[in-house]
Amino acid sequence: MKENIQYPFTAIVGQERMKQALILNIINPRLGGVLIRGEKGTAKSTAVRALAALMPTLQKVKGCRFGCDPDGTDFCPECEAHLEAGEPLERTEGKMQVIDLPVSATEDRVVGTLDIEYAISHGTKKFECGILAQANRNILYVDEVNLLDDHVVDVLLDSAAMGVNTVEREGISYSHPARFTLVGTMNPEEGDLRPQLLDRFGLVVDVCGENSKEQRAEVVRRRLEFEENPEQFARQYEPEQQRLAGQILQAKERLGSVRYENEILLMAAALSLTLGVDGHRADITMIKTAMTLAAFEGRTKVSREDLKNAAVLVLPHRMRRTPFENGVLDEAAIEQILREHA
Amino acid sequence: MKRPIFPFSAVLGQEQIKNALIWNFINPQIGGVLISGQKGTAKSTLVRASGAISGKKIIELPLNATEDRLVGAIDFEEAIRRGVRKLEKGILYEADQNVLYVDEINLLSDNLTKILVEAAGDGVCRVEREGISASYPCRFVLVGSMNPEESGLRSQLLDRFGLYVDVTAEENPLLRCEIVRRRIAFEADSQAFAEEYQEEERQLAGRIQKAKERLSSIGVSDAALTLAAQLAQNANCQGSRGEIAVIETARAICAWNGSSSVNKEAITEAARYALPHRMRDAQPAPQQTETPPEEDQREEAPEEPTEETRETEPPSEPEKTPEEQQTKESEEDPKPEESGSDSGQSAPGKEKEKTEEIGETFAVGRWLEEKSKTLVRRGSGRRSLVKTSSLQGRYVKSTMNRREDLDLAFDATLRAAAPYQKTRRREDLALVIEKEDIRTKVREKRTGNFIVFVVDASGSMGVGRRMAAVKGAILSMLGDAYQKRDKVAMITFRRNQAELVLGMTRSVDLAAKKLETLSTGGKTPLYAGLEAAHTLVQAARRREKDLLPVVVLVSDGRATAGRSKNPFADAVEEGKALTADHIKTVIIDVEQDFIKLRLAEKLGREMDATVYQLSELRAGAIVSAVSMAVKENTGILRKKRRADE
Repeated sequence: MKENIQYPFTAIVGQERMKQALILNIINPRLGGVLIRGEKGTAKSTAVRALAALMPTLQKVKGCRFGCDPDGTDFCPECEAHLEAGEPLERTEGKMQVIDLPVSATEDRVVGTLDIEYAISHGTKKFECGILAQANRNILYVDEVNLLDDHVVDVLLDSAAMGVNTVEREGISYSHPARFTLVGTMNPEEGDLRPQLLDRFGLVVDVCGENSKEQRAEVVRRRLEFEENPEQFARQYEPEQQRLAGQILQAKERLGSVRYENEILLMAAALSLTLGVDGHRADITMIKTAMTLAAFEGRTKVSREDLKNAAVLVLPHRMRRTPFENGVLDEAAIEQILREHA
Repeated sequence: MKRPIFPFSAVLGQEQIKNALIWNFINPQIGGVLISGQKGTAKSTLVRASGAISGKKIIELPLNATEDRLVGAIDFEEAIRRGVRKLEKGILYEADQNVLYVDEINLLSDNLTKILVEAAGDGVCRVEREGISASYPCRFVLVGSMNPEESGLRSQLLDRFGLYVDVTAEENPLLRCEIVRRRIAFEADSQAFAEEYQEEERQLAGRIQKAKERLSSIGVSDAALTLAAQLAQNANCQGSRGEIAVIETARAICAWNGSSSVNKEAITEAARYALPHRMRDAQPAPQQTETPPEEDQREEAPEEPTEETRETEPPSEPEKTPEEQQTKESEEDPKPEESGSDSGQSAPGKEKEKTEEIGETFAVGRWLEEKSKTLVRRGSGRRSLVKTSSLQGRYVKSTMNRREDLDLAFDATLRAAAPYQKTRRREDLALVIEKEDIRTKVREKRTGNFIVFVVDASGSMGVGRRMAAVKGAILSMLGDAYQKRDKVAMITFRRNQAELVLGMTRSVDLAAKKLETLSTGGKTPLYAGLEAAHTLVQAARRREKDLLPVVVLVSDGRATAGRSKNPFADAVEEGKALTADHIKTVIIDVEQDFIKLRLAEKLGREMDATVYQLSELRAGAIVSAVSMAVKENTGILRKKRRADE
């Protein structure tokens, strides 16, 4: 089996909500990532890794350790120095990537540290990049995010919130852009996530194994086929992969022109207030998600349906009140709240 | 690094934060502000945005900063090149005359907190390290923000803050909409957005500047002083920091409003910000840490029914909800078949299922706290802040003490070696490191304890309000446990097996849900409960070396189901296995029958566990029982570690 062939994203059976949430985050990197909760063997990791093939190409500054955007506004200290010296930034292209953050990663590996080799051979200090540097403008993927050490979580929270990684440790004082999309997967049976980290995830999806016999059979059939001959299997899905990648690209371009009406904002506010979510992050994420959904579906106006779909992804992990019957926030429950409060 | 900042004047609402910040800019004597509130309420946004209107730099202290960067350290490049010891100044130096901002300040390591408190108090940073002895001024406006759900703040740090603001989200739907609209507009084009507010920002900055100039001319009358003192006294504040903060704030308010001397309105307004966090016995969020005995100090949170009420009216409680009343009444007519041991006679069909609601919850004081400041300084933080010997944990500073597993603090080693490079033979390297330069890392890790509740859910537990009280106690401790980073799990046993109701967790919400639905009925397979606890702890220990487990068994000890003919002996066997494995156990004996069999006591003796009676099943008693166990527990661990070393 060749190692570098990924199971194609479009070949994943079912799990529509999870796939949707992941795609939305590629289209709009500012949604705040997604947390996928579910039992073992529900294609969580497969889906995240398969995402790599669908990612768009980014403009980058050539040779920049942080993959700065030559057209952007925030630069790393090195690019900034170039700019100040009046030197033009050389361009290069690179695909957006999925960067892994292993649960066992130490803090210095995550945030970066003093470059030991350089210090010994040159006698001067230099910042050695950590995982957060690599993660800039990419997807940062944490498998089993609930098992992450508390102090690493604190660091992640900080950078995820500000888009900047500030290092003041081990004799190093350095600050660089770290704007990443946080994607986490976890099995809730193995423990919970701190509410504060939970809140940082823009979207949360709960996945469970497919229930219908046919679908289950299909999952196994495809898996076996893939293992038998990954290349051929991947080729089979190539057209579909291309189509989806194209759709994502178009949605990205369209996103800037998506508009929403006041009514949509009021709906979002009513939902947040009724469900007792903390702060304003939920409102903001709901609207952004709805906008991205509209863009993905080729529209430039946010519909009520978009907002409802967004609410299902954004609210469940944030609500403190469940003023509806079975405690599960689905579209019916949202409809009910909107009828009563908006 | 330039990054787009959301303009101060574009933030809607949150007037209290804005006021507190502005007053501090006008008058830095106020002593900073602590902003406490839920997630996502523009706390940090406002602080970061305030740089533009204050003319000060916002210097941020990241949570993972190390000591050398906070205070400064030897300039090692200079040392290598010229062999001189020069101080490379730290964050505190940059913060001088500026704003020092610590987001999530309640999560800051103890070591940094200590330094911060000292520097904020003295206005001077003293550096005594690596052969350098220096000091530099650091007068800064200390701004901290925190989410109280995560943890409380140490009282000595709390007292350093001049003002305290508690924030919540905006409730008005129309304002909420506008907040969202602005945020989205900002993200779409931050530069254009910032330009829109430029004029407003400029005016605000100008007004602050004018107020600053006016400040020195604002007089304080004796009447104003008396009023401030009176207010501070009413609030039962310790020391005089409270009234000083009130006065300084009132001066800033008057300078801001253009009044010439401090008036009554300004004083009362100032008191609203300067006193809440200093009020003793009425402080909701923060908890103190460095406190001696727990027994006499548990009466915080006066609003709720206090321990005293509990003591005068044992188990059955005041403030019953209608349902509670009902359960109570139905319990009062004795039902021996239910309360008696269910040995043999509880045929499955006859089994009674009963689900009691969660009993009263209460504010948990200092329980499970390790009080002694030992030589190793292990218990200096949240519950059990372990200076961990494993390679996990946050690197806070370095030490010359060598350890077996060389956890090299490279930066510190370099600094130690740097001044001698001139005299050492270097050959090809830029740097020669000798053995005596080696420094190792000191790491801190909050392990918390791992408390496993093993709850008897057999029929006999449905008697009285036992279950409700147990539920209440567990829930209360969970809330406290989350803040202290303790982990909790719950196992119930009944019929023929034990069930893991709640795996190792810190989620209070999840636990509450599980507790609510916990029902009683059936036989008592006591051994199974203990066995399950043992397995759980072992598994957890494999994952986390420093875990401090405590098993809390809540039962009457009447084992009625077992592996052998003698269920009780089975339970004793399991219990002994726990003890043999250094797992501390506390037994809460809930036997309430007329003829006492004292089986729980017997079990406790056999397995060398502490036993408490049902009459002590008041929340307070359970709490202190568990806390005793933890103290012993840490003792064991310490001994073990010493043996290891």
